[in-house]
Amino acid sequence: MRIVVTGAGAICAAGASPARIVDAALEGRSAIAEVASFDVAGWPRRYAAEVADYNAAKLVGDRKLLKLIRRSDVFGIYAADRAIEEAGIPAFRDALEDDAATAFAEGTGCYVGSGGGAFNVNYDYFPLMAESRGDMEAFGRELASTVNPMWLLRTLPNNVLCHVGIRHGIKGPNACITNHTTSGMLAVIEGAEAIRDGEAERVVAAGHDAPIEPQTLLYYHLCGLMAERDLRPFDAARDGSVLGEGAGALMLESEDSAAARGARVLGEYLGGGDAAEGEGLLALREDGDGPARAIEAALGDAKLNAADVGMIVAHGNGTPLSDRSEAAALARVFGASMPPVTAFKWTTGHPLAASGILDVTLGLEAARRRVAPGVATLARLDPACAGLAVSSSAAAPRTDVVLIVCRGFGGTNAAVLLRAMPA
Amino acid sequence: MKRRVAITGLGAVTPAGNDVAATWARLLEGRGCGAPITNFDARGFSTRIAAEVRDVDALPLPPDRKLLKFGNRSHRFALAAAEEAMRDAGVGPSDADRHRWGCVVGTGMMTVSFDELASVQREAAPEGELDPGKVLAEATANDPMAFCRSQSTAGVALLMRRFGIAGYASSVHTACASGGQAIGTALRVIRRGAADRVLAGGFDSMVSPVGLAGFCLLSAVSPDNDAPERASRPFDATRNGFLLGEGAGFVVLEAWESAVRRGARIYAELAGDGNSLSSYRITDSHPSGDGPIQAMQRALRDAGAAPADVDYLNAHGTSTPMNDRSEAAAAKVVFGEGVGRVAVSSTKSVMGHLIAAAGAVEAVVCAKAIETSTLPVNANLRDIDPDCAHLDVVRDVPRSQRVRVALSNSLGFGGSNSCLAFRHPDETAAIVTREGGR
Repeated sequence: MRIVVTGAGAICAAGASPARIVDAALEGRSAIAEVASFDVAGWPRRYAAEVADYNAAKLVGDRKLLKLIRRSDVFGIYAADRAIEEAGIPAFRDALEDDAATAFAEGTGCYVGSGGGAFNVNYDYFPLMAESRGDMEAFGRELASTVNPMWLLRTLPNNVLCHVGIRHGIKGPNACITNHTTSGMLAVIEGAEAIRDGEAERVVAAGHDAPIEPQTLLYYHLCGLMAERDLRPFDAARDGSVLGEGAGALMLESEDSAAARGARVLGEYLGGGDAAEGEGLLALREDGDGPARAIEAALGDAKLNAADVGMIVAHGNGTPLSDRSEAAALARVFGASMPPVTAFKWTTGHPLAASGILDVTLGLEAARRRVAPGVATLARLDPACAGLAVSSSAAAPRTDVVLIVCRGFGGTNAAVLLRAMPA
Repeated sequence: MKRRVAITGLGAVTPAGNDVAATWARLLEGRGCGAPITNFDARGFSTRIAAEVRDVDALPLPPDRKLLKFGNRSHRFALAAAEEAMRDAGVGPSDADRHRWGCVVGTGMMTVSFDELASVQREAAPEGELDPGKVLAEATANDPMAFCRSQSTAGVALLMRRFGIAGYASSVHTACASGGQAIGTALRVIRRGAADRVLAGGFDSMVSPVGLAGFCLLSAVSPDNDAPERASRPFDATRNGFLLGEGAGFVVLEAWESAVRRGARIYAELAGDGNSLSSYRITDSHPSGDGPIQAMQRALRDAGAAPADVDYLNAHGTSTPMNDRSEAAAAKVVFGEGVGRVAVSSTKSVMGHLIAAAGAVEAVVCAKAIETSTLPVNANLRDIDPDCAHLDVVRDVPRSQRVRVALSNSLGFGGSNSCLAFRHPDETAAIVTREGGR
């Protein structure tokens, strides 16, 4: 059974739709800037890719909801709404009679990749802790008069799943995946599998994260993962990654479901793969064994050969080891016959749990325009990445198939293959 | 035809016991594990009781003790329960097949320990408001190990490292449904051939000031501080909230034919996964059972089983007024006239609610029920809620009964519902023989 993409949504510092973000990439504009959400004067690392002019009420169109959700959730709901709307789901659903509407709701699934490891949310307890000064009995006693009673609900990692479900009456199979960077990518893969299994006719897949917080920024720096300023994937002088934030979302449908609705088809989901190295939370192998196996698994799943791939969206997070080993993985799979490689984190920053699915929406948009955007911050290719078909200027894909690669903590890796319909 | 999946290893660390045998014995005894909280000073809280894991220091350690630095309390539970499950299965990844092993876990949402939070507050928010500049000099914020422990993938990374697993890896969180969803995901991963064996389970500990606070603020936990052993009484007319527990449960899942080939002890077939979204309200369940109904029906359909094949339902049964009523209504719709022939118990009555670990531990319980033809007790049930009176609840003493198919419900905040279906291995073997003969 063919699975098609009928809607896509995205938001990050570089723009609020896949089209705007790809425009930014093609124009060579990076959205990385000095952190504005908190004072970084004197900080060892001061740059991030923050969504400017953040207006939560406008993004989700429901002021009351903001009491129950966090910044990351706002991005996730926004992107999922856009994908669902672009696919024309609301108009179709609203026109259905009762029984057909019930069947439609139960045949629609929702798969979300959600960020974890947030620190700021716990700071809601700081006023109470300051007041109780280490006296736990006072902490317990004054709890109800000091802390928002909805605190736990605002904190739930599965909030986007819940609220997208309620907003759109989705009652089918679902998951909330909290697997660091591969979360959003696994939401795409598991959502597509639910359609293949016949558990759902259509699925909205989303991934979201908002990790730009003081503690997170400092920890990433201490772990040696943060660039001083620019994110320069595969460049000889690259010095780390830069935190981003945002979300990506896709509407995936069985071909029959899309045809029955007369939906416009943006692309086709061809296959996905996941493979971990499992050598520790922060450990990565030099030889790129994990990403190579993830790509091979995706090719096997899609019944394609490496030569069928027209362009590659690399993870390219800008850290020396991740990029070097990713280049090794791509060399292992594609050898001397490598299609154009691009990456987007140099402009979007690294939005962790959202990054894979955000890259899927951007890869699809670029491939529909038949262009692999250049990596504008690439000055000199790292000799350790020799053979990687990446460039600072745009290139033409050799086929309509795009491969997206995603890597995360724990040595986890995921890969997805899509066919892009012409824009 | 769907690839069948066998459960060949079990592990558990729960308030009822630090391994499967001790946990199972306590569940049969039917004595509640609720007690005054000892993890921290909870005297000021409206609820001061919980079901805690005892003798944490006596839990088995991984051979490489340095791994513990990367983990928190719930990861400690996970390592011990997974160790038991892997040993029980008698099989582990080799260099030749470690890529064919997966690991899928349901993880808790508490990422920061209270002591670490308190340290940041004292140094960087002495008046209650964070001064980011002061974060730079604070000890916890400068401890990369604190960061590692806080990551949602800390658990899956530890387990993969400990056992040499290098295939499909994922962490899921759908609140109280997490453990069930993790095992359901693992089932699908093996079925589609993305792995041959998966270590799957869940772990959690919210018995901490911030964890308990969240539930106290929502009035979700029982305030029966004077009768902690009876605080969790699912389906009882006087129930008034859940008893917070903690722990971990793990199973080893493998393709049925490989388990048979190597002569493994098969506890049960993990036969079906049903998964639905209620899309009603965040914390409320629909009084009609809408949501859980679809999860149970999908699990049965996925397992190729009929409602009449089910002999045991391990209920989500949290002991909150709303959950138990809604779940009882769902059972009535799913089983129809036959609802009285399905034995039901909520083992949360004894060990409390293990949140993200609950569904995983309850999968272990279902496997034991099938293995031993014994149904654990729904403790503390005196006067059944009239809205639940159509259920055949296993009261007072365990029941001897062969189980053909068992269902386990896990229903989460946010409306994610998971139902797993387990089949007696003899029933599966008979089906396999019949199918082979066609």
